[in-house]
Amino acid sequence: MKYRLRNSFHFRLMVSFLAVSLIPLCLCSALLVQIASVHMNREIKENMKTDSDSMIVALDDLALGFEDVGKALQNNPVLMDALTCGLAQETQIYNVLYEAAGSIREVCTLHIYDLKGNPLFSSHSSPQPQKLKPTWGVLNAARTSGKASYMGQTAELDSEVALLRAAFVLKNQQTPIGYLVMEVNSDHFKQLLNGKYGNQGEILILNQFWRPVYSSQQLLFTDVAAQLRSRVLAGYIPEGDNPDYLYSITKHDKTDLLLVQQQPHAFNHRTLHILMIVSACWAVVCIIISVFLSIPLSRQISSPIGKLRSAFGKLEQDDLDVRISLDRQDELGQLAIAFNHMVNALKTNRAELMENQKELNETKLRMLQAQLNPHFLGNTLDTMKWISKINNMPEVAMMSTDLADILRFCISGEEFVPLYRELEILERYIEIQRIRLSDQFSFQVDVPEELLGHPVPKMILQPIVENAILHGLVGVERSLIRVKAEKWQEEFLRVTVTDNGRGIPEEMAGKPYSRETLPDKHHLGLYNVHMILKLHYAEDAGLFLDRGPDGTGTSVTATLPLQTAQEECEC
Amino acid sequence: MKKWILFPLLAALFLSACQKTERTTEYTPDESMRLTIYTSHKEEVYMPIVREFEERTGIWVDVITGGTNELLERIESQQDNVEADVMFGGGVESLKAYEHCFSPYVVGSSDSIREPHQAEDAVWTPFSALPVVLIYNTKLVSPDKITGWSSLSDPIFRGRIAFADPAISGSSFTALATQILAGKSMDKTLATLAENLQGKTLSSSGDVLNAVVDGSCLVGITLEETALKYIAAGADLAMVYPEEGTSCVPDASAIVKGAPHSENAKRFLDFTVSYEVQQMLSESSYRRPVRSDIPAGESLLPLQDIVLVDYDIDWACKNRDVILSDWLFYLKEAK
Repeated sequence: MKYRLRNSFHFRLMVSFLAVSLIPLCLCSALLVQIASVHMNREIKENMKTDSDSMIVALDDLALGFEDVGKALQNNPVLMDALTCGLAQETQIYNVLYEAAGSIREVCTLHIYDLKGNPLFSSHSSPQPQKLKPTWGVLNAARTSGKASYMGQTAELDSEVALLRAAFVLKNQQTPIGYLVMEVNSDHFKQLLNGKYGNQGEILILNQFWRPVYSSQQLLFTDVAAQLRSRVLAGYIPEGDNPDYLYSITKHDKTDLLLVQQQPHAFNHRTLHILMIVSACWAVVCIIISVFLSIPLSRQISSPIGKLRSAFGKLEQDDLDVRISLDRQDELGQLAIAFNHMVNALKTNRAELMENQKELNETKLRMLQAQLNPHFLGNTLDTMKWISKINNMPEVAMMSTDLADILRFCISGEEFVPLYRELEILERYIEIQRIRLSDQFSFQVDVPEELLGHPVPKMILQPIVENAILHGLVGVERSLIRVKAEKWQEEFLRVTVTDNGRGIPEEMAGKPYSRETLPDKHHLGLYNVHMILKLHYAEDAGLFLDRGPDGTGTSVTATLPLQTAQEECEC
Repeated sequence: MKKWILFPLLAALFLSACQKTERTTEYTPDESMRLTIYTSHKEEVYMPIVREFEERTGIWVDVITGGTNELLERIESQQDNVEADVMFGGGVESLKAYEHCFSPYVVGSSDSIREPHQAEDAVWTPFSALPVVLIYNTKLVSPDKITGWSSLSDPIFRGRIAFADPAISGSSFTALATQILAGKSMDKTLATLAENLQGKTLSSSGDVLNAVVDGSCLVGITLEETALKYIAAGADLAMVYPEEGTSCVPDASAIVKGAPHSENAKRFLDFTVSYEVQQMLSESSYRRPVRSDIPAGESLLPLQDIVLVDYDIDWACKNRDVILSDWLFYLKEAK
């Protein structure tokens, strides 16, 4: 899994799609179920509250009705005769009982007991009333409390027997003469509470000690009642967190009975199950959509990336003709175009580089040719110097000395030399030329002190000066050659060689040096200097040709960077 | 990456699943209004008494039911953390065996309780008196065949006497001790009975009745109350008080030592021997009340008409181990 996640873009994309679709779906489903269940449960609870209230009213009616009967029978002469003297005028008694029972006749059975607990009269002929003990149970409670007492009667939900008994002491002038007893059985309860609670709801009535009195369902009467009681005894909220049912518990004050309503949760296991299945179906749909969306999308991204990768691979193999063709306008398309541009630029660069290399090689070749056996020449020149000295030919000796110096300078290994060395060699050369040309020109050097130590490529001045002497000063009287060095724009060193000779042709003046524009292709000296400067310093450096300051003669300026030269020298 | 996606998801689910669980409610009764009863009585016996007690006193009674020995063992094991207040039910011999778990209490109406049923040290309070009787299947045995303990040695009953293991059943041990006291010598009595039982005993006292009713045994030894209940239900049974004499040992209640609601426990004990309860008992069951001012139920032979041995509870308790080991010896012999 982790391996695939790390190594497969497609897989990663699919997982992301799944996460993006499934997580909100799950959260949403859970939240919806939770909210709906809370909301609906609250509604159910509110309904239960109203139901409870109406049932409490019904119980109240029953209890009040019973107490009304008791009060109505108090001090009743007919009853007094019947209970004390045994003068039973049954029809009268029944009349009294009927009349008093009134509204509650339908939901209970009323009996009149004598003080010994024997049933005497009943409001209904069946079921037969039971003999009760005045020292036990409800009669005892009624006697001792002096008011109406209510008592749950049985531990079994039996439709035949009384589930709730109420008793009230009948008195004649403060003397107890008997008991009025109300019996409520399960049919009565059913009738009393009928339609007052929801269709799915069940009812459980408990006495004040949470023992069951009545229930609409056997299970509630036996099991749930016991569970509720044990929870109450253990100190927990009786209804607790029942997963299946909601409970509402209301106390009826008059009878001390507890009315427990049970309603199924808004979402029971079945509805939750259905919701889960629906959610699962949606999840499956999400998974399918994710898979089908991720495949083309990942292909859309991965195929151009694949092309790019293979193009790079070819590039690594030095194939500069590789191009990517992508027919799209998005970022990947731009990437492909950028790649193509890059390869193009690389190719041009490469071509230029090769051209440069070629030229450099040519130059080197030429330089090597120029250095043919220089040692032999040097030694020969030394010999010439001595012979001329012996033969007293000072000019020849001087010339051969100068020539030997120049030659040694030329063949020394250094490529850069301080400017003053260059000027020294230049002086040697001028000396030779003076002898040759019988001192027909003057030579001036104008270099500031600070620039004397600046390194320059060796032998760049000699060819320029030679050029001036050989071409510029031919047939010129009082000719002058001037070498001037200066700082230019703080970054460059400019060395200008000026003569007052014939001057250069008009089309060459005021331009950088270019071989093509020269009429005479044999100006190898200038060309060499120009190439040396270009090779060392690239575009910044080179030769600049112009007329002299007064419009005559020639001025050749070599420009080279100050900084770079220093650095290279230090290296 | 996935972990931090899962975390809020789980947290949300957890929070939504969390619901309040509070303790204490308006309905929970105060500690002073509670009572925990361990009882081996059947629901029909204890429930009316418990409900009436609740109605009269307002005390909430928590009833825990079980077999006598099981409950006594539980009480003994809880000595450090007493849960039960009252042990309600169980023969006095059983209670006496666990004497150290109970604290004595003299009930308010002790004067009205019959002398022979009173405990000397008031560790237990009697509830009802239960004589030992012989029963026989009326379809299989003629009435003159069985008159007393000696009839059990009749060869016709050989191997067909229903008798529960006295090591398990308290009432069975009482019956065995009664026979020893009614006979002349302990060894002879034990040997004769064991031999005629052919070494077979039943595992519970309830089985005795069933064995006699279904005819697998001809006679049985049980308690008067049980026998009468079956007879009233229409079983083919008849009951005989042994002519040599029987015993009338009560079952009883006792307050657990260190009971958390001992005051309520005392009220309950008072209530069990109150006139009302004893009267109710005599009217609605075949148990004999322990109060002298209440006669036994109409269907019961008056106690003075029954031949009783001089049953010494203390003797029976002290010699329990001896009797039982001897009995085991003879039972093995008889096999």
